[in-house]
Amino acid sequence: MRKETREYNFDWMLWNSFTAAAQLKKGTEKEYRSMLKYIPYFRGVVESILDAGEPGQKFLDICSKYMENVITAKEKGKKTAITTFCFSPAIFYAMDIIPVCLEVISVMMTFTYKRGTAEFLDYCNEVGYTETSCSSQRGTIGAYLAGIGADIDMIVTDTPGVCDTNANAFAFASAYLDKPFFQLDMPPDLTGERSNEYHREDYRALIKFLEEQTGKKLDPEKLRANLRELAKQDEIIAELEDLARMVPNPLPVSYNLMVYASRFLFAGMPECTGVLESMLEVARENAAKNISGLSGGVEKLRAFFCYIDHYAQNLQLWKMLDINGICYQGNILSRSWAHNAPHVTEYNKEEVAYTIDTTDIDSLIDSLAMINSRMPMIKSIRGPYDAPNMWLEDTLGLAKLYNADLIVYNGTPGCRNTWGMVKLFARDTEKAGFPTYIMYADAFDARVQSWEATEERFMEFLKVRRLV
Amino acid sequence: MIKELLDASTVLNNKHVIQWKKNGKKVVGYTCSYVPDEVFHAAGILPFRIRGFGAADTTIGDTYFGPFVCSLPKCMLQLAGEGKFNFLDGVIITPGCDSMRRLDECWRKAGSDVDGVIPSFFFHYGVPHKYSDYTIKWLTEETHRLIAAVEEHFKVKITDENLHRSIKLYNQSRMLLDRFEAMRTLDAPPFNGEDALAVILAGTTMPREEYNSLLEKFLSEAENSPVIKNRVRLMLVGSANDDAGLVRVMEGEKAVVVADNLCFGSRFYTDQVEESGDPVSALSKRYLGHNDCPRMYGDYKRRLDILVQKVEKAKIDGVILQNIRFCDLHGSENGLFERDLEAMGIPCMRLEREYGPLVETGRMKMRVDAFIERIHQKKAIA
Amino acid sequence: MFVSGVDVGSLTSKAVIMKDDRIVKSVIIKSKARPWESADEVMDMALARAGLDRKDIKNCVGTGYGRDKISFIDEAVSEIACHGRGARWLVPSVRTVIDIGGQDCKAIRLDAKGDMMKFITNDKCASGTGRFLEVMAKVMNLDLDELGEMSARSKQPVTFASACTVWAQADVIQQLNDKVPIEDIAAGVNNAMASRMAILANSIGLENDVCMTGGVAKNNGVVNALEKHLGIRIKRIRREDPQIAGAIGAALFAMEKASGGVI
Repeated sequence: MRKETREYNFDWMLWNSFTAAAQLKKGTEKEYRSMLKYIPYFRGVVESILDAGEPGQKFLDICSKYMENVITAKEKGKKTAITTFCFSPAIFYAMDIIPVCLEVISVMMTFTYKRGTAEFLDYCNEVGYTETSCSSQRGTIGAYLAGIGADIDMIVTDTPGVCDTNANAFAFASAYLDKPFFQLDMPPDLTGERSNEYHREDYRALIKFLEEQTGKKLDPEKLRANLRELAKQDEIIAELEDLARMVPNPLPVSYNLMVYASRFLFAGMPECTGVLESMLEVARENAAKNISGLSGGVEKLRAFFCYIDHYAQNLQLWKMLDINGICYQGNILSRSWAHNAPHVTEYNKEEVAYTIDTTDIDSLIDSLAMINSRMPMIKSIRGPYDAPNMWLEDTLGLAKLYNADLIVYNGTPGCRNTWGMVKLFARDTEKAGFPTYIMYADAFDARVQSWEATEERFMEFLKVRRLV
Repeated sequence: MIKELLDASTVLNNKHVIQWKKNGKKVVGYTCSYVPDEVFHAAGILPFRIRGFGAADTTIGDTYFGPFVCSLPKCMLQLAGEGKFNFLDGVIITPGCDSMRRLDECWRKAGSDVDGVIPSFFFHYGVPHKYSDYTIKWLTEETHRLIAAVEEHFKVKITDENLHRSIKLYNQSRMLLDRFEAMRTLDAPPFNGEDALAVILAGTTMPREEYNSLLEKFLSEAENSPVIKNRVRLMLVGSANDDAGLVRVMEGEKAVVVADNLCFGSRFYTDQVEESGDPVSALSKRYLGHNDCPRMYGDYKRRLDILVQKVEKAKIDGVILQNIRFCDLHGSENGLFERDLEAMGIPCMRLEREYGPLVETGRMKMRVDAFIERIHQKKAIA
Repeated sequence: MFVSGVDVGSLTSKAVIMKDDRIVKSVIIKSKARPWESADEVMDMALARAGLDRKDIKNCVGTGYGRDKISFIDEAVSEIACHGRGARWLVPSVRTVIDIGGQDCKAIRLDAKGDMMKFITNDKCASGTGRFLEVMAKVMNLDLDELGEMSARSKQPVTFASACTVWAQADVIQQLNDKVPIEDIAAGVNNAMASRMAILANSIGLENDVCMTGGVAKNNGVVNALEKHLGIRIKRIRREDPQIAGAIGAALFAMEKASGGVI
């Protein structure tokens, strides 16, 4: 790591960048335009998001707010917990703990900085953490290992049984930084009495842990309010997802990213609701006019991403899709497994989905355990890919429901889990009639394969398969 | 005696297995040290630890697994695809780690592509990642599920009485291995690390009764064997290793491996199973609680303590921390071990390798030699 | 009393003859397919040039990949120890040695007395080794020596996505096709190499003074880039060719042995 990188706290820098970005359009258009040339590596993100209008503005606002929460946690007397994207933050907010979500912060850095998270990725290797580990956590964790981030009080993850390399990042950080650790462990089966009970017991142990760490009892009223907000958010997401089924899809390509990012940042909080409501408004307007959300206005192809996105600098994945008239039909990160989600009702999967029951403290905790066990990846990557309710069934169901023309896999080389089965998975999706493209890139590290190479290969695939 | 154990450790379908099958009995393979042998023994089935030993390449493994995956399960699948595991009547897969648990899908897919590659009994045994009352309960239920499946498929009955008997037999074995461990860590041990690994491995490939008697003979012979002196004493830590050749390369002429924490090593035999009470719950407690793999997240300090105790007990001069490429669990934990053990003044060397044919021995040897030189220097200064 | 050290590497083989802590003769040749042939040839050449015979050599230590197969040596010592010892002789104040050889790179930390405290080597492929630079230089149609000089002239070094030999090679070809100035590509290659090396060096903890040995130490582009990455000054070796550090170390071990010491 360069000396100058150590000069300022990285999370404080990130907060600065996003706060400044969120202010850009609050002046005149001329001021805005003249500012852009000073942020050559960030302007792509700023332009794409702010051009999305009010939802984009609100989205940048909450990114800034999130980072502000992280860096001011201590002065506000709050505890901080390093956590993961597939862990619903609702419980942290209910217990006055500020979640520090590694993957989301890695995405923010990868989007905005010229070097992305490269220095922190490499720093991990220098202190003994393997370079083959997933870059999604490694990017941010490196900064915390180097001690150039906010003070961390505890480390909490829910990926054991789902993703080793993810779980291992948290276990390593806990041992390296000597911080308390808690894991929610996931059994291989999603449903059934044994799994349900295990999820519930485990979640109760988590609450006990959090109570010990904060020295405060869980306040049922606060939790109830959060879960009610969450239910409201699920309603909005369900409607957005339903709208995405229309041809043309009225949702701009960046909406999917904003849906999942808002949930990972502020699930159960009004900040998230604000962004979602604003997106819904635009989507409804577009739908009423029957216009496509793509900036070119013409929908040529619909792609379903069966895993995660590619977070190359300046939102280049989304730009590529938009320019080529490829409609983004979602990925596993954005799909919610609330009882009212379109794919749940379409396929009668209510028994697999979660419902929010705010009756009493027990039902609240059980609801949370259910929500958490159905988070992206946690739900569908835990068992064999071809088992009921797992990756293949979910992907084929969603790809059909959203009328996808092709399926795209992108991950990171650290993802032992999906790389262990993706060849078989793609054989099956191809057999089911979906051209399936496997990207060999790293979603968080352009040094593995440059975005230009990734883009070229993707377009090549479309050509070879006569999709364009 | 060592010859017979060595043969059993290097030939998968060895004479014990062949004899067993000739008698019309069944063999079930498993991939991970969290699977309780006793369950199969109680059913009159031979539990057999699946390995990738002897795979010359991974062309079949690579057909199903993607890149960026550990070479151990790829080698296992390779051998399965080549028909080397045709003697197995069943297979148990666990979520030991991500690479290993995807062997489930890859093997099944290979089985659907090529007849005879997969045995008819194929079972996924879900092992939790932490130790607490409800995780033991889960594993106990999971073991009952396994027992029921074995009973149904193989038309056998696994009674508590049989389980108790099997637990006793395996405990005897563990007691013998404790004696073996004590001998191995002597100031002047009567056998080297290469032989030690062969002795341990042999136990995973033959009926336990035969193994116990061979082991007993080996120990009494060892008591009168010439001893090994004046060598640098190493401990081998990290990813699975079932290749005695790797230990031979490391030992060379100047060193001897006198301790390990490997899953094909001491992890496999430490600690007894409770002999009274409910046998299934006793098995679950031992297998989940006394198996020190980094897959049990958040338990690093305990594992470090175990290493430190071993270093003291076995008078270790240096620790080799190795991992198979893409094994993040061991690789990262090795990074922590290095930091903490070095801080205590214990020389460590990290090494990343591939599982499979020993091809990089030159590079490995160069580094181990340099490490031994470093230890000599340290001793000379002291 | 003459002693000698021979270092058989994957790309080059080196022999050094010493007397009373002074170098009498040193030779570098390109390695042959078999290590013992390289050893014989390089040693015979050094002896001939020094006007000596094999029997004049009191003790000879071998190091490098094929050291166990060299028939004429008295003892084999690992190249890590030899590079540490050789670097110490070249720069007496050195505490951290970074060696980039043809097929591997290593970082060695020495204590105040020059004894090896810790070392690390690359595990993987050719990225971060001399072979990486050789391959890239070939793609650019440059001599290996030119590659280093080029960096100094670069105004806008190219950033390479990867330090992997295979990927970077494709990228270099792409840049050449795009008519990017060759010095910018060369600087990019040197940077990629240095960043890879910096991770390794940082992971053993740097202590001043730091010096570089091995053939790549002669490439100023890499050395300058590495200084930037590490944020410290790397002491340049001027006493002798840094490429023969391993052979010097071997000869020093031979000297110790010949004077009755134990290696």
